Amino acid sequence: MSSHAAETPSRPAAPKARDRQLVQRPDVLFRRCVTGVVIALALLWLVPVAWALDTSLKAEPDTIKIPVSWAIPHLTLSAYSLDFSATDIGRWYINSAIVAVIVTVLTVFTASMAGYALSRQRFRGKPLVYAAILAGIMIPPQALMVPLFREFQSVHLINTYWALILPQVPAPIAVFIFKKFFDGQPIELDQAARVDGASWWTCYRRIGLPLARSAVSAVAIFTFVWTWNNFLWPFLSATNQNMMTIPVGLGTVISGTGIINALQMASAVLGALPLVMVFLLGQRQIVEGVAGTGLK
Amino acid sequence: MSEIALKGLTKRFDDGTLAVEDLNLEIGDGELMILVGPSGCGKTTALRMIAGLEEISDGELWIDGELVNDFPPKHRDIAMVFQNYALYPHMTVRQNMSFGLEQAKVDKDEIARKVKETAEILDLTEHLDRRPGQLSGGQRQRVAMGRAIVRDPKAFLMDEPLSNLDAKLRTQMRTELARIQNQLGTTTVYVTHDQIEAMTLGDRVAVMRRGILQQVASPRELYEQPANLFVAGFMGSPAINLLTAQVESDTLRSPLGDVALDRRLRDALEHGDRTDRVIIGLRPEHLQDAALTERMPDGTVTFSGEVSVLEAMGAEYYAHFDLGDQTSVSEAIDPSHDAEGDPVGRRHGNDLVARLPINSDVHEGNSIKLWFEPGHLHVFDPESGRRLTEAKA
Repeated sequence: MSSHAAETPSRPAAPKARDRQLVQRPDVLFRRCVTGVVIALALLWLVPVAWALDTSLKAEPDTIKIPVSWAIPHLTLSAYSLDFSATDIGRWYINSAIVAVIVTVLTVFTASMAGYALSRQRFRGKPLVYAAILAGIMIPPQALMVPLFREFQSVHLINTYWALILPQVPAPIAVFIFKKFFDGQPIELDQAARVDGASWWTCYRRIGLPLARSAVSAVAIFTFVWTWNNFLWPFLSATNQNMMTIPVGLGTVISGTGIINALQMASAVLGALPLVMVFLLGQRQIVEGVAGTGLK
Repeated sequence: MSEIALKGLTKRFDDGTLAVEDLNLEIGDGELMILVGPSGCGKTTALRMIAGLEEISDGELWIDGELVNDFPPKHRDIAMVFQNYALYPHMTVRQNMSFGLEQAKVDKDEIARKVKETAEILDLTEHLDRRPGQLSGGQRQRVAMGRAIVRDPKAFLMDEPLSNLDAKLRTQMRTELARIQNQLGTTTVYVTHDQIEAMTLGDRVAVMRRGILQQVASPRELYEQPANLFVAGFMGSPAINLLTAQVESDTLRSPLGDVALDRRLRDALEHGDRTDRVIIGLRPEHLQDAALTERMPDGTVTFSGEVSVLEAMGAEYYAHFDLGDQTSVSEAIDPSHDAEGDPVGRRHGNDLVARLPINSDVHEGNSIKLWFEPGHLHVFDPESGRRLTEAKA
């Protein structure tokens, strides 16, 4: 019998170590470049934040010294205490919290139900309804401000929580995200539940929604952040100091007291603090949500 | 327990596709009815119509003497086992099994008792607090069964429940399933494309093709008396040998030799549309090795063939013979051309297979002598594919 080695076509020789290095070099270089760019972008974002924090901890005269310096000659929290004593920031915090939490809960609830129905149920006019919702994504919110304002003014709801909350609840993009997410869930789970005797509501509540946890987290976190930061609509609908949210209130700090750098920066830091906490607490869900839903 | 009756059941999808056409089927109380056929034959659609997951376009569906066409799934009192099990991944085995009972507002203590009992039957007691993701394929399959059993429904609907298991586990679970169904005596409709499952599990088997029911019969009857070429080709592994044959006066000239027309064959030809040409079918096990036969019965047909491929199956050989082009069965009626993805596999029309005992002295490339009894021949009409003969078992 002839030997095996003679019959089997010889394998290509394993690449030598030097060749391997040559092959891997572009990959390593690319990764280093990407890391460098990411660090540069992160610094670009981080420097103003660090500067705000730095300024808020300085005494006011130190904030206008030339040359500009990162050094803090006299560390003080006076800007923060002034913020609480001279402004209604506590009230604005409460307003922002109420509005952001309720808007988040209602958005997740309504958008997930709409997404579930569009994904799972068959009903007349479904494509039209879905197209109308998608069209909503394309309308800039600014275009709706005047009609919305007139609408809420006509029903005497300006300067109420209703005015701050209701227009921020409908979120076509959230409906789209939930629909896509439910489309990805095996339909057999709902069918099994229906055969098991569950109603559509039970299917949604006990099967669909618990399995859409990452979509719920993503939509909830981003809705909260977006609502907390939203300026334009609260600025129009809450003219009363007591009804202002943080971003609107911060605007009055600037215009009402002249330019006090430390106070401005302390207000900005306080305003952003809850969002930083939300990010720190929900970091994993944010990453999962961005990866799973494409939301950012 | 209950009877299920399908009367002229039809499913037409929005795009006009006719998935199931005028399906008439009566499933007796406690019976295990198998719906079998190649992919796209409408068997799963029929099952989904029974479950209420698919609207019925036409016809009537009766469960336990009640017309249920417009009943939602939850009001039909049936349980379904899905191909991918459809276990709720965020719930434990216990919660999965309790879900249906909770929907029926069964008392909590009663739910606990039933779940415990069912878990014992299915050997799942130690896994009750695990989630489906922590279970093996076989255990998941048992949980899916448990979820159906625990509700004690009027009927079980099973959509290829064993197809996700490996071959060994599938055989094991098939036996287990037969035992449980026997024990519970619940009316069951079982969909599969696996003819071995169909033959071993079913009380009766309904063969479907392109949305149309071909034949309903016991597995044995289906195998021995197939209604048409499709059923003959679909049931049996290896598939039945189908060959064209010419009728000349008192003789049937087949590629395997001339067969004298006896009364049975004459009657058969009288029932056909054509009298000059037919298709004959012969099961691989009806071809015998002449070298192992001491005395052949009278009237047997003998022929010699060269073995082109030999498959050793352990207890027997599958010997393939190349008969040449002139014998091939027309593509229009050859079931192998219809059976997309079916387990029978595609066979060339010019390929003849014989199941020979392991003590046969058979080798690839060698010629051997085979014989068969004409009584085992099935004769089919070449135009309609209808079987014309009453074949000998």
